Amino acid sequence: MQQQFGRSLNELTNIVTFTDQFFAQHDIDLSLRYIVDLCVEELFVNMITYNTETRADILIEMNPHEHSVEVCLTDFDVERFDPREIKPVDVNVPLAQRTPGGLGLYLVLKMADSIHYEYSNRTSKISFITERK
Amino acid sequence: MFQISFGEEGAVLVEGRLDAAQAPQAQEVLDQVIATCVLDLGKLEYISSAGLGVLLRTHKRLTGAGESLKLINVNGHINNIFMYSGFDRLFDIQRADPPQ
Repeated sequence: MQQQFGRSLNELTNIVTFTDQFFAQHDIDLSLRYIVDLCVEELFVNMITYNTETRADILIEMNPHEHSVEVCLTDFDVERFDPREIKPVDVNVPLAQRTPGGLGLYLVLKMADSIHYEYSNRTSKISFITERK
Repeated sequence: MFQISFGEEGAVLVEGRLDAAQAPQAQEVLDQVIATCVLDLGKLEYISSAGLGVLLRTHKRLTGAGESLKLINVNGHINNIFMYSGFDRLFDIQRADPPQ
């Protein structure tokens, strides 16, 4: 199942509707839903925030597997950005030193069971898998 | 659907999905808070890093003024996010009673 979304935060509602349809259509275990929602939002928002050199829609694909869900987000005509290479957030520092930045991708890396990255012909594709526990 | 409002006893009630699109609305309301405040998250279904940022900014501002933000009725999913984010060590958090 796949759909393209414009580069706007207003699309988050449509992405949730798309995810609703995917989970219902494939009878996916709802315990995976929160992680899918969170990882999709964080990756999508990161793309529209930092990949500002393109106006192309972002493609989101969701594929069911026996005990897991695979989700891919593809951004076209952009620079390479591998989220696995970001500097980890230190979540143990005191309140005065904490800043909100970087927490989104940090959560994706912590919560998804695996993350894959491909970059070719200025097309950036991030995939993640979340498994039923 | 996201809603944030002041409750009868001074608590701030947060409902629905606090995502990146709704974070500015939440920030606008919480910017009005100037003293120690209870945030009732009993009807909060979802929070992303944008929502966490709103909570963090508000808590830092209040703490700097000798006040704080207390989070109550936190469900399991939201609590997991708080733990991954280290928020369990920064905030006074009261979990929701488990369903009977």
